[in-house]
Amino acid sequence: MGLKDDIERYREVGENRREDLAEFIQYGDLGQSRPDEVRIPIKIVDLPSFEYDQRDMGGVGQGDAEEGEPVDAQPEPGDGDEDGEPGEEGGEHEYYEMDPEEFAEELDEELGLDLEPKGKKVIEETEGDFTDITRSGPTSTLDFERLFKEGLKRKLAMDFDDDYVREALKIDGWGPAKVFEWARGENIPVSRAWIEDAYSDIPSDEKTTWASFEEMEANVERSTTAQRIRREGVEEIPFRREDERYRYPEIEEEREKNVVVVNIRDVSGSMRQKKRELVERTFTPLDWYLQGKYDNAEFVYIAHDADAWEVERDDFFGIRSGGGTRISSAYELAAAILEEEYPWSEWNRYVFAAGDSENSSNDTEENVIPLMEQMPANLHAYVETQPSGNAINATHAEEVERHFREAGNVAVAYVSAPDDVTDAIYEILSTEDEE
Amino acid sequence: MTTTDEFEMHREAERLEEVVEEASNLAEKLGLDPYPVNYWIVDYDEMNELIAYGGFQQRYPHWRWGMKYDRQQKQGQFLGGKAFEIVNNDNPSHAFLQISNSLADQKAVITHVEAHADFFNNNEWFGLFADNPDAAAMLARHAEAIEEFMQDPEVDRSDVERWIDHVLCLEDNIDQHSPYEAIDPDSDAPDIDTGELDEELGELELSEEVRQQVFDDEWLEAQTEDGEAATFPADPEPDVLGFLREYGKQYDDESGKATEMADWQKDVLEMIRREAYYFAPQKITKIMNEGWASYWESLMMADENFADADEFITYADHMSQVLGSPGFNPYSLGIELWEYVENTENRRHVAEQLLRVEGITWRNFHETIDFEDVLATLEPDEEIANIGPDALDRLDPEDSRVDAEALERAHDGEIDVETYPWKVLTYEGMAQRHYSLTKPQFRGFLTRISQSELERVSRYMFDDARYDSVAEALADAEYTVGWDRMREIRESHNDVTFLDEFLTQEFVDDNDYFTYEYMRSSDDYRVTSTDHEDVKKKLMLQFTNFGKPTIVVADGNYDNRNELLLDHKFNGIMLDIEQAKDTLERVFELWGRPVHLRTIAKEYDEHDVEVARRRDREPEAIEQGRLISYDGMEFSETDLDWSEVEHLAASEIDYDTKPEEWLA
Repeated sequence: MGLKDDIERYREVGENRREDLAEFIQYGDLGQSRPDEVRIPIKIVDLPSFEYDQRDMGGVGQGDAEEGEPVDAQPEPGDGDEDGEPGEEGGEHEYYEMDPEEFAEELDEELGLDLEPKGKKVIEETEGDFTDITRSGPTSTLDFERLFKEGLKRKLAMDFDDDYVREALKIDGWGPAKVFEWARGENIPVSRAWIEDAYSDIPSDEKTTWASFEEMEANVERSTTAQRIRREGVEEIPFRREDERYRYPEIEEEREKNVVVVNIRDVSGSMRQKKRELVERTFTPLDWYLQGKYDNAEFVYIAHDADAWEVERDDFFGIRSGGGTRISSAYELAAAILEEEYPWSEWNRYVFAAGDSENSSNDTEENVIPLMEQMPANLHAYVETQPSGNAINATHAEEVERHFREAGNVAVAYVSAPDDVTDAIYEILSTEDEE
Repeated sequence: MTTTDEFEMHREAERLEEVVEEASNLAEKLGLDPYPVNYWIVDYDEMNELIAYGGFQQRYPHWRWGMKYDRQQKQGQFLGGKAFEIVNNDNPSHAFLQISNSLADQKAVITHVEAHADFFNNNEWFGLFADNPDAAAMLARHAEAIEEFMQDPEVDRSDVERWIDHVLCLEDNIDQHSPYEAIDPDSDAPDIDTGELDEELGELELSEEVRQQVFDDEWLEAQTEDGEAATFPADPEPDVLGFLREYGKQYDDESGKATEMADWQKDVLEMIRREAYYFAPQKITKIMNEGWASYWESLMMADENFADADEFITYADHMSQVLGSPGFNPYSLGIELWEYVENTENRRHVAEQLLRVEGITWRNFHETIDFEDVLATLEPDEEIANIGPDALDRLDPEDSRVDAEALERAHDGEIDVETYPWKVLTYEGMAQRHYSLTKPQFRGFLTRISQSELERVSRYMFDDARYDSVAEALADAEYTVGWDRMREIRESHNDVTFLDEFLTQEFVDDNDYFTYEYMRSSDDYRVTSTDHEDVKKKLMLQFTNFGKPTIVVADGNYDNRNELLLDHKFNGIMLDIEQAKDTLERVFELWGRPVHLRTIAKEYDEHDVEVARRRDREPEAIEQGRLISYDGMEFSETDLDWSEVEHLAASEIDYDTKPEEWLA
């Protein structure tokens, strides 16, 4: 036991072992995210207790206020004081925030996905990074760092302990020829001319300072290049024309990773509150995920009963109408919109539909399936939300699943409780057609 | 843990050794009396674990710790970590410092912790559980015992988990104002049949005839009805958990009836009840305790330069985040109230001194007194306000504000006066150095004293003419009265009494508090009042009884059928009925037989709502007595006549802050 075990138990709350607590799980509102930042509600399990009616209780706020003014910050249920932990602060967050890229990474990691977005549309030939190099070019593109480094290398290669060589010239009996020969043997990069010059500069009484090489070696300390540079600094770097390099940009053909996601939802009378919420819980993370994966994501929202119409996202999850259901109406509209605005040659397409599987008779077989077959897309998915068991005439999901069993780009997922959402998302995102 | 980690932990501990020691010295100088504190350096993961476990290292297995950990971790990861202080109520207290905190944060945490430890040690509500709680050991014992139950092959682990959940639903239904008393594990439910009396009569050796005539069945029944055994408890019992522990049974699914609780069930119930009593003092002193810690932390860190100049920026930033977080915030309410207590006490004392001056009365106080002059006089003396190595000669060892011995050592160079100037002062000196009324933010406070307060002060004074001049009176002024009073209050109050006593109109105006209510007409929340009585009412509602409705056991033999009747003591705010039902299901599990809850619901007549809406007014609720019953299978709700619930309604309290004229 221990904390790991407690975490495991918490994950299991609401699932098989502790279904009894399922009704006490609260998830925050999913609609609070912005395009650049997704807000993920934290699963909170709130055991019941004797509490006041939240509305009847009212509350206290701080700040400038006029009698009768509306108060924005409504009290959040369940943010009461727990256990009086000293570290806890007022106004708890019910969310944690991340940007869509992070979200996609997390999900990849969590679910073991490896969706590689494909670049489709060549937007332009751009100049990439200045990574290619040439031997000539405008001064402003000169790679000075390289020039400096090469010069320094050269300097180090040419450097030698001149004091030490000079001392060698002071050995009794050693002349320039002898010293040059010795230096060569020692791999000291010194020229004959330098030795000749140095020898002539040494006063004649010093030319016999050391009786032998051994005596000189015992008395004079030899220094390494590094020591000398540290001591004297780099006085002069030998820049050479042959070390000059000029950078120029790589020409890149950039393919933008475009994606269009079509969200289709049944808004007919049979889609009650619970089912609507399940759709939102499934679609929203899918949207976030694809948004995080692609450079450019666009979304199309289609609501339908017996007819279909395009709506804004803000309205999408809330709409409810009374009419019957004809799923093909939505696919007809989706096909028209995709054809017009999102050609397959330039766009990755994801078409997600959700509903309770109810459809008007034969519509699935006669209309929807052919429409899906004719509509090229990376992925078609149908999410069946059926929180209250199966209804008899709800066979859309089954029919689609049966027909497309062999196809690699059609996924069908069933969601009957919030806890099925993760599995559904995995089911959908791991179904990617290899082209 | 790798050796590098250990090495770093060790290094951090060394780095903080002096800080910890000096923080404790400073706290003592300021008149605080904390439990000794053991500090532990922990890493990020350990910190999250401690937070999840409510500040301890070992708790019984339960999913909610996992939930807290998950939340803590995700928020830490994605919302940016912040410096947490964790200190637990124990003697010695244990506090935890996260290794990755900046030095400024560590110092802030340490000063904050010292003040909490003082509060734990001195607030008498903490004494209700135990003078020496020995909490870590108790919680570890509980953890081990419950783990054992879970591993017992005779007991299904998930049964234990469910049982814990049932009990946790009622963890706030204890009598937090009384000392904790363990329910005697051997006590049995009282006999509610007539067996005992029968037996006694048998011992009298009466003939069956006499017995039948005199002590007939009717008489016997009357005896038991009047006697304590038939309806119990005699007085409504707020410790619902304790009552269930003593008289409750479990519901046995197989036999379909109540059976005795298993030993492990009784033990788990009692352990969670004991923990509830242990944590209760922290819950009922949250505003006070957090305010207290923030007050002293800020004084030590900012005013006494415990934070270096460059650390101060980090600290100020941290502080503004903590106190400035939006909405209602117990930290800032607490610190504001403590400052208000300090200021009013200092002001009362100064006013008293001034009223003793010849010619000054409460009537002419404001016209006669030059407040600027008074404040200039009260300003801490230069030698006390600015202490440094070069200014030591200005301090007189004979002065009661000066710690003569420390001064001596400072002269000898043993004390680093540059870093710790406060060391050469006494408590009295410190009180003057940090005198509240002359601080820039409170300079107007003295002037704002009202006529009525002055009148009140003067009414309780006897020798009201002792000084010839203002200067003379102020020379006798004591600087310590504010802190002295604060310490008295931290000893005896809890949040409710604290708010009740110190939340004045002046305070509400100064700090911009307001109340809001839900409006049926507009389906939103609206500001209803800035009157301090209203603000106080709402705050009291939020902090009385953990902010929850009061539920008491009314009858353990309801309807003479061993059923349980709970009463909701109605204060004008109705129950969350849905949650109450969910909770009743749990109560059933702990009682084993049908359970009932008597409450008063507020209902709105549709017609009234409509009329009110059209007039842009609020409808008035109809209060209706109601009995909610649960028999293990289903719920039933019965309307009760007002006479049956009249005793539940507290007539003198009204938590509604909506202005009269808003009502339809």
